[in-house]
Amino acid sequence: MALALENVSKHFGSLVAIRNLSLSFDVGSIYSIIGPNGAGKSTVVNMIAGSYAVTSGTIRLGETALNRLPKHRIAQLGVSRTYQNLRLFDGMTVLENLEVCFFPQSWLTFLTGAKRLSKAERLEICHACLAEFHLSDVADVLAGDLPYGRQKILELARAFVTQAPIVLLDEPAAGLNHTETKDMAAMIAGLKREDRAIILVEHDMDMVMSISDRIDVLNYGELLCSGTPDLVRTNERVQEAYLGTTEELDDIRKLAQSRRAQGGLRANAGIVRH
Amino acid sequence: MFDYFLQQLIFALAIGAIYGLIALGYTMVYGVMRLINFAHGEFFMLGPYIYTFLFSGLVGLGGLAPVLDSAIAIVASFVIVGLLGVAIERFAYRPLRAYGRLAPMLSALGMSIVLQSAVRVTVGPQPVHFPAIVPSTPIDALGGMVTTVQLGILIAAVLLMVGLTLFVNGTRLGIWIRAASESWTTSSLLGIRVNRAVSLVFFIGPGLGAMAGIMYASYYGIMQPTMGSVIGLKAFTAAILGGIGSIPGAMLGGFLLGAIEVFGTAFLPILSFGYIGTEYRDVFAFAVLILVLLFKPAGLLGETVSEETTVAKKDY
Amino acid sequence: MGNSVIARRLGLLAVLALCVVLLALVPYFPSYYVRVVDSILIYIILAVGLNLVVGYAGLLDLGFIAFYAVGAYAYAMLASGQFDIHLPFIVVLFIGAAAGAIAGILLGFPVLKLRGDYLAIVTLSFGEIIRIAINNADDLTNGPQGIAGLDRASLFGLPLTTPVHFYWLLLVLAIIVCAGVYYMERSILGKAWRALREDQDVVRGLGINTTTLKLLAFALSAAIGGAGGVIFGAFQRFVSPESFTFQESLLVVLIIIIGGVGNIVGVIAGAVVLVVLPEILHFAAQYRLLIYGVVLVTVIVLRPGGLVSPRFNLGFIIRKVRTLWLSPSKT
Ligand SMILES: Nc1ncnc2c1ncn2[C@@H]1O[C@H](COP(=O)(O)OP(=O)(O)OP(=O)(O)O)[C@@H](O)[C@H]1O
Ligand SMILES: [Mg+2]
Repeated sequence: MALALENVSKHFGSLVAIRNLSLSFDVGSIYSIIGPNGAGKSTVVNMIAGSYAVTSGTIRLGETALNRLPKHRIAQLGVSRTYQNLRLFDGMTVLENLEVCFFPQSWLTFLTGAKRLSKAERLEICHACLAEFHLSDVADVLAGDLPYGRQKILELARAFVTQAPIVLLDEPAAGLNHTETKDMAAMIAGLKREDRAIILVEHDMDMVMSISDRIDVLNYGELLCSGTPDLVRTNERVQEAYLGTTEELDDIRKLAQSRRAQGGLRANAGIVRH
Repeated sequence: MFDYFLQQLIFALAIGAIYGLIALGYTMVYGVMRLINFAHGEFFMLGPYIYTFLFSGLVGLGGLAPVLDSAIAIVASFVIVGLLGVAIERFAYRPLRAYGRLAPMLSALGMSIVLQSAVRVTVGPQPVHFPAIVPSTPIDALGGMVTTVQLGILIAAVLLMVGLTLFVNGTRLGIWIRAASESWTTSSLLGIRVNRAVSLVFFIGPGLGAMAGIMYASYYGIMQPTMGSVIGLKAFTAAILGGIGSIPGAMLGGFLLGAIEVFGTAFLPILSFGYIGTEYRDVFAFAVLILVLLFKPAGLLGETVSEETTVAKKDY
Repeated sequence: MGNSVIARRLGLLAVLALCVVLLALVPYFPSYYVRVVDSILIYIILAVGLNLVVGYAGLLDLGFIAFYAVGAYAYAMLASGQFDIHLPFIVVLFIGAAAGAIAGILLGFPVLKLRGDYLAIVTLSFGEIIRIAINNADDLTNGPQGIAGLDRASLFGLPLTTPVHFYWLLLVLAIIVCAGVYYMERSILGKAWRALREDQDVVRGLGINTTTLKLLAFALSAAIGGAGGVIFGAFQRFVSPESFTFQESLLVVLIIIIGGVGNIVGVIAGAVVLVVLPEILHFAAQYRLLIYGVVLVTVIVLRPGGLVSPRFNLGFIIRKVRTLWLSPSKT
């Protein structure tokens, strides 16, 4: 199954967050989307998952156009995700956080029980998943009571428990310390499978460089370059976008100012928002 | 027909202005605390009672010119009801801030019962006459269709609204209030004394409610302890209609609601060939509200929050 | 097996026996007390029903009493001289529940995409509209005078006329409703509702259609409200719009909050407190409402999370009893 963005744009008022972006992702690989703050990475994730409507363009999963579908339909078709800011069900236990993912997806299954997992099957899958993510010891702890690092892992587990073919990870390592980040990288690398595409948005370059099969670099909503880690590492434009030559820095500053003027308060909000 | 229309229009504006003033209290409190202040209708009811008490007190003490007595009593009612609002927030709502949104709402319900029954046991449950502040005389210039009271209400309410708008847009304290409504945390990080903004809101809101109550009572010449319940509910509807949290929205919602009610009542029996009568007057407000929300889920001037940016994950 | 275990088991038995004996003794109380207990039971049923929406799904419904009214008027119109239709009580009970559910879905369908306070105010408006409509649709409902002389109810040949009869009926129904809701709470449906209450956007992101989920909560709770209304109608044998004011809706919400949101044990406690308190306060004559309000505010300020801690729920009690019985060493 392949996911493709075809000429996708997203405008927030006068702010162009994504401009004519075309990308495709196939199962079997880990893709990373990187770029400076405000580049539009989360916007891409949100558009794929159906949280934001695209302004123009099409997002396809196989033959199906996703961008006309409601969010829960998109998830049912096999797109799961994590959030840049942790969004667990804090008042529910770790186990319950996973169990909810198996709620019957249509009235028909709900009422007839057809194709529906029994409670025992459901619990078995969830426990297996917890074991895989080293969360078994806290199965009955409230998610909100876990330390931050483990909450991040739980959110990861929630995205993988249903075996969705497309998994979107928005900054899974944000806020983790060095060792935790390494563990997270190893964990994600271990989740790579033939029938699954993992799309990773991340700022941690070590992680991105070590586990990605392809890296797409976004800058100001446009694709700057795309390729294997080695290719991206040596690409000059990427280095400029991240570090900036002196002239470039001036340019960027100007650009940023004009964008800010255009976008008004909203664009500024991107700095505070995460 | 035109005279009738004009008369209805003035009536709609006057009643709408009253709704708007009350709605402002709901909306401002909601803005800073995300609280539906169910006790707000009672401030509206307290207004005329406190005014009457003060006014007759002043007159009893010998008094000044009647105009001055009234003016003093009006200002004092604003202040007293406002301070009462501040005190209630301090003792009944503030301790509950960390406990979600249902607990303060419940507390507000309790306060509503307390205030209403307190008035009931002190002055009795029966409606009492409210002395006119200005004599109600028809104004010849407008074909005798409009009375001084209606016009007075309209002018006073509009002045209060203009004053409030200038205050929240132009003064430091006003800007605090708006900042606190935008984001509680960010404001406090920026050194805004959020608690002061809240107290201020709980002073202005109930004060305006009291003013609205005095207007309402002078319009109908009567007051009673339960008068805040239904009007409060309707004004709250107006606040939602305009988009709760939005100050211009509350005013707009108030006037709209007034217009809907008055014109609905006046013309619907004609339009429906007498099938739907005036007894459905109170339904209009609610029916229109539901309709508006179906098409504009955040009210007319409310901000539609995109779901990924919602601050509060929980509704309740 | 140590002595202490036996002692604890005996203690448990004693508590259980006390509950059963108390419940069995109610019919021998003076009629006034039986009525108060009936009233408590009715409010338990209503509040447990509404709790599905408020406590589990996290949607504030301020117009719940409308469904109660639908049920009550169903009985009033289908079992009285009003239209000279006299259906048996049990039939109307189901009709009332179904009518409530349908009303719930009709209301829910267009409005459930609204959030938080907007939903609250729309349900409130709906409640008011229903009440005003009842008040004015004279041909159907007799308007403000209400409908009197409803049929004496009977169930499977047993008469349902005195407060004691209704006590048994309400007790059975309350137990059924509590058990059913408890079962749902523990099922995956209950978990989905709780998740919905925590973060509905994420729930949608998990592939769950939140609208149907909310609709289900709405319909079930409305059905319970409708059934409660039918019993109320049969009990009073008189209905009028006055019984279905906004204040009644608020009372049910209050019961839920003051007891402990989303907790059946809490709801029971809340219903007992809020029904009994005004009865106790009768001595205070005209100060009654004032004291009631003051007590309410004081309680909520002192115990903002509700009287009953969320940990002390039905599941906790059942677990406790079970472990004490099966493997006492663990306790
Ligand atoms: N809901 C929204 N409303 C308005 N503007 C938005 C919204 N969401 C994102 N933006 C803007 O779109 C641009 C891209 O934002 P996005 O969140 O996609 O950036 P990002 O690449 O994920 O950045 P970061 O690394 O900080 O997470 C930013 O300028 C941001 O302010
Ligand atoms: Mg981002």
